[in-house]
Amino acid sequence: MATKKKRTPNAQNDSWVVIAADSVTDTQKQDCDPDFVRLRNPSTDEASLYMLGSGDGQLYEVKAFEEDFHSWFVGQTVQRDGKLLFVTQMDPLYLILPYMIKSGREGKFQPVDQVVKDEDFPESSRLLRCTRSLTSLHHIAEEKEVAGTKFHRYSEERTLNWLKKKVERTVVALKKKNICVGEGVKSTTYVRVKSESDNQEEDYLRYAHGLISEYISEELSKALLKHLGLPELKSPKEAEPPSKKRKLSDKPVEAGEDYTKFNGADFARKPPKKMTAAQKSLAKVDKTGMKPMSSFFSPKTKAEKK
Amino acid sequence: MSCNASVTRLHLSSLRRADKAPVHLMPCEIEHDGLAQVSQYFTATTKQDKKEKTVSFRGRGLKGQEISCPQGYTGLVLKEVDRHGSDQEDRTVKVTSVFDKLTYWNLETPPTSDDTVVMAMDWPELAEAVSRVWSSP
Repeated sequence: MATKKKRTPNAQNDSWVVIAADSVTDTQKQDCDPDFVRLRNPSTDEASLYMLGSGDGQLYEVKAFEEDFHSWFVGQTVQRDGKLLFVTQMDPLYLILPYMIKSGREGKFQPVDQVVKDEDFPESSRLLRCTRSLTSLHHIAEEKEVAGTKFHRYSEERTLNWLKKKVERTVVALKKKNICVGEGVKSTTYVRVKSESDNQEEDYLRYAHGLISEYISEELSKALLKHLGLPELKSPKEAEPPSKKRKLSDKPVEAGEDYTKFNGADFARKPPKKMTAAQKSLAKVDKTGMKPMSSFFSPKTKAEKK
Repeated sequence: MSCNASVTRLHLSSLRRADKAPVHLMPCEIEHDGLAQVSQYFTATTKQDKKEKTVSFRGRGLKGQEISCPQGYTGLVLKEVDRHGSDQEDRTVKVTSVFDKLTYWNLETPPTSDDTVVMAMDWPELAEAVSRVWSSP
C-alpha cells in the first residue's frame, strides 16, 4: 500500500525522535506512565495515534513532521527514519464530539459513558477520565441532571459556537506567530511578506478554519464555515493553500498495526502538483528549505486520501 | 480483539538514565540504524562561523544551524524495549536520550527562518490555540 518508492523496507525501525510537552515527562505530576493509544480520528474516522498521560488526565495528539530523504544522528548512532514527532496537548472534546453527534441523532439525553463507547477503539472510554472532559461537555451538548446523574444531548448550536471560539483563538495565534496565510505565501521567494490585501482577515479566518477542520468531520467543517460567515469557495482545488502542492502534510499520525508504521500512510509521497516555474527551480536547488509553514500545517483535503 | 486495543507505554523511569545527546537532522537518507562514528567523522570537521555551521559530508557541502525546542517542550529519543511476542501485545518504549536543541542541515543552502523544520517548531504554540483545552470555561 503505502510503501515509499525505491526504498528498502524500514521494518527494523524501533526508535523515534520526539518533541513533547514538558507535562508528558513531568514525573512529579505523573502518577503513572503515559500511553500511546489508538483512537478514532474525528476527521478521518480512522485510527490515529494519541497519548494519554497523567493517569489519563491529559490527552495529547501526535503529529509527525517528515520530509523525504532525511535521517538523524543521535549521539554516536544513525537513525534512518528522519521523522520528528510532536506531542502536544489536545482537547478531548474533539474526540468525544463524533460520538456525541452520533448518539444525538436519536434525540435523547443519554449518560455520556454510554455515548463514548467504541468496540473498534476500546481505549476511547479513557477519554472521559481526562481532567476537563466531563466539565466541558456543555460546550458541545445540552445537559440535564436527574437524581444526581448527568445526561447529555448533542447541540450543534453550542458546538459551532465553541468551534468559532477556537477559530478566533487560532487567528490570534497565527498573527502572533506572524505566520503567512493566503496570498503572502505564494511568491517566488517564500519570504514572509505582509500582504496588503483587504482580504487578509478572511485569509486568516479561512486558514484557521482549515486547521480546526482537521479535528472535525467534513460535514461539521462546512457548517462551521457557514457559521463563520464565509462562503464556500467554488473550486476547492484553487482554494487550497500552497501546501497541497508541496510534499509535506500534517496528516495526523495514523497508527498502523505496527508501531514501526508510526506514520502509516503517505506522508511524503505526493508528487508536487502544479508547481510554478519558480517553485520548480527552487525545488531543484534544495528540497529541504523554503517551504511555507502551511506545507505541513494547513488543512488536508480528504479528496487527496488514497 | 482489535489491534487498536494495544497500547504502547512510555517508561518514565528511564528518563533518569537518559543521556543528553547531540542531535542532527541530516538532509539525506542514511540506510542504516545503529552505531556510527559521528563525532569522529562529522562533528570533528564541523565549522562554526557567525551565521551558520558548515561541514562536508560525503563530498557535499552542508550548511546548518542549531535550533531550540519550543519553550515548555523537551526533545526525547524513544526506543522500544524488548520487542517480542505478537502485535497484539502491549509494548513499551523508553527514553534513551534527551535534547533541548538540535542541529539541522541543509544541502548547500544557508539556513534561514523559512526552513521547514524551523517553522515546524511553531506548531506547539499554534497547537495550543487550535487543539488544546481552554484554561477558562
